[in-house]
Amino acid sequence: MKLALLVDILIGGLITGGIYALVALGLNLQYGLMRVLNVAHGEFLMMGAYLTYTLHAAWGMNPLATLLVTAPVAFGAGVALHRVLYARVLASGEAQESLPSRSLLLSFGLLFVLQNAALIVWSADLRGYRYLSIPVHMLGTVFPANRLVAAGVALLLSVGFYVFLRRSLTGKAIRALMQEPDGARLVGIDVTRLHGVCFGAGIAMSAVAGSLISMLFELTPFIGLPFTVTALVVVILGGLGNVAGSLAGGLLLGLVETAAVYAAASDVRVIASYAVLALILILRPSGLLSR
Amino acid sequence: MRHPGSASPGLVAAAVVGVLALGVAPTVLAPYHRSLALAILADVTLAVSWAFFSGPTRYLSLASGAFFGAGAYATALVLKSTPWPVPVLAGAATAAVMALVVGMLALRLRGPYFAIFTFGLAELAKHTLIWYETGVTGTVGRLLLNPPGPLTLYYTVLGLTLLAVGTALALRRSRWGYALVGIGADEERALTLGIDTTRIKVGTFALSAAFMGGVGAAMAPRWTYLDPQVFNPLVSFQTVIMALVGGATTVAGPILGAVFLGLASEILLVKFRYYYMLSLGLTLIVVVLLVPSGLAGLMRRAPR
Repeated sequence: MKLALLVDILIGGLITGGIYALVALGLNLQYGLMRVLNVAHGEFLMMGAYLTYTLHAAWGMNPLATLLVTAPVAFGAGVALHRVLYARVLASGEAQESLPSRSLLLSFGLLFVLQNAALIVWSADLRGYRYLSIPVHMLGTVFPANRLVAAGVALLLSVGFYVFLRRSLTGKAIRALMQEPDGARLVGIDVTRLHGVCFGAGIAMSAVAGSLISMLFELTPFIGLPFTVTALVVVILGGLGNVAGSLAGGLLLGLVETAAVYAAASDVRVIASYAVLALILILRPSGLLSR
Repeated sequence: MRHPGSASPGLVAAAVVGVLALGVAPTVLAPYHRSLALAILADVTLAVSWAFFSGPTRYLSLASGAFFGAGAYATALVLKSTPWPVPVLAGAATAAVMALVVGMLALRLRGPYFAIFTFGLAELAKHTLIWYETGVTGTVGRLLLNPPGPLTLYYTVLGLTLLAVGTALALRRSRWGYALVGIGADEERALTLGIDTTRIKVGTFALSAAFMGGVGAAMAPRWTYLDPQVFNPLVSFQTVIMALVGGATTVAGPILGAVFLGLASEILLVKFRYYYMLSLGLTLIVVVLLVPSGLAGLMRRAPR
């Protein structure tokens, strides 16, 4: 019985953590590359979730197949937003110190726009559908199949992206740009184009995570912000700009949270995530796992 | 930019007429317009007190909602047992103490970290209160019984507004104010020049929070029922947008911004809530991209 509980927490934690990792990776990619702290990140998750919901509910599309729509649409939107908003701020040649604050304000503006656009289109009512809610027995405990599928896809994408960063030429360019922006420019990396691509990729990851989440929970236009906060915690936990750190941090936070919910009540979860965020900011502003 | 010490006689006369008009206004206005004027005065106070800290120092605070909420909640707790001005003082004190603690912890964080921290503060306070109220006291909110009359509330807020504007003006002319500008321009250099940056930052942050708490305390009796949702991040954002639209480094900027957006919000928020908030977001984006002069205080080294 004790083993079953342990397995329960472990797998439950990995399921939550896998999704956290995917959301946090996207956020960290944007921050690591451009020093853009995108607080509208969770709103793209919310938009992805609603896109999947609409495609499934209105046209009967398979929720998993909608990822093939969500990802490119979100990527395109991200590239466009980068060009219209962030590229202009980044190129404005202002003092380096003011860039983070300006891009932060931009993303708060985006948050308002996206959340209220969603409220106008879908209203504040709960929306949801049932997909793959079949119980799967494994290792003495039971999990719904949709959670396993969602977590599997999220983990696959996160690890896949990590491998892409380590192995491919583009991945190397991205890492070079994170570590040494001026040096990267010198060796002929097209910085603005790569920024756009990475911003789009980050948003696509968030939206895909949203599509996966729509299979598990009911949606409201307000689901985005809590995920932004969680992603911030993970990113700060793992170190800003540290991709492997986000991956590990996401899984760790998923485990800790699941264990905490078992140990205490679930309404403490929100308090805990803000408290952890505040604590980390005070104690280790450069990240727990940073060198 | 006019030198802070040389307000023109015309401007002074206009200010005197304006204050007199604001003093007489509630006795001649219909209740709806009086309450509109009250809400705008509250917005002006929030924007001005946000700007006298965040404008020169460029520390982007998103804690206004938390301080406003703390003040409002303090009123809810003591309104029944104390005579009127005391709840306002209690609200101001609560917010100031909160700001002292937060300031000690967070004011060594620069740029977006400080903004994120202060934003998280309002959410943390809200969720902790919700948890406390439902779990420990077994309620979801507080009733505000025996509120003071509308005229009392109006003059209380007007008093706070004038005090906040006075503080902002006084700060601009004082050594303290120059120290704040110095911190915004280059904090390490300011420290090297012998400015006690921590004391000045935390002190001004607490002073600005006291005004926000006072406003929260004075506005709370307008609602007969108060729950933790009063810790509203929208208040934080509206305050920032109002100040930035007008220009955060001037005293007149936040006032104009607050009057403009306060009017818009009072007229549009109830009828077209989502459209209003959507356009608020668009306004913020447009201001950041296209009106950098409005952003002068946070984004550029303030001219000497």
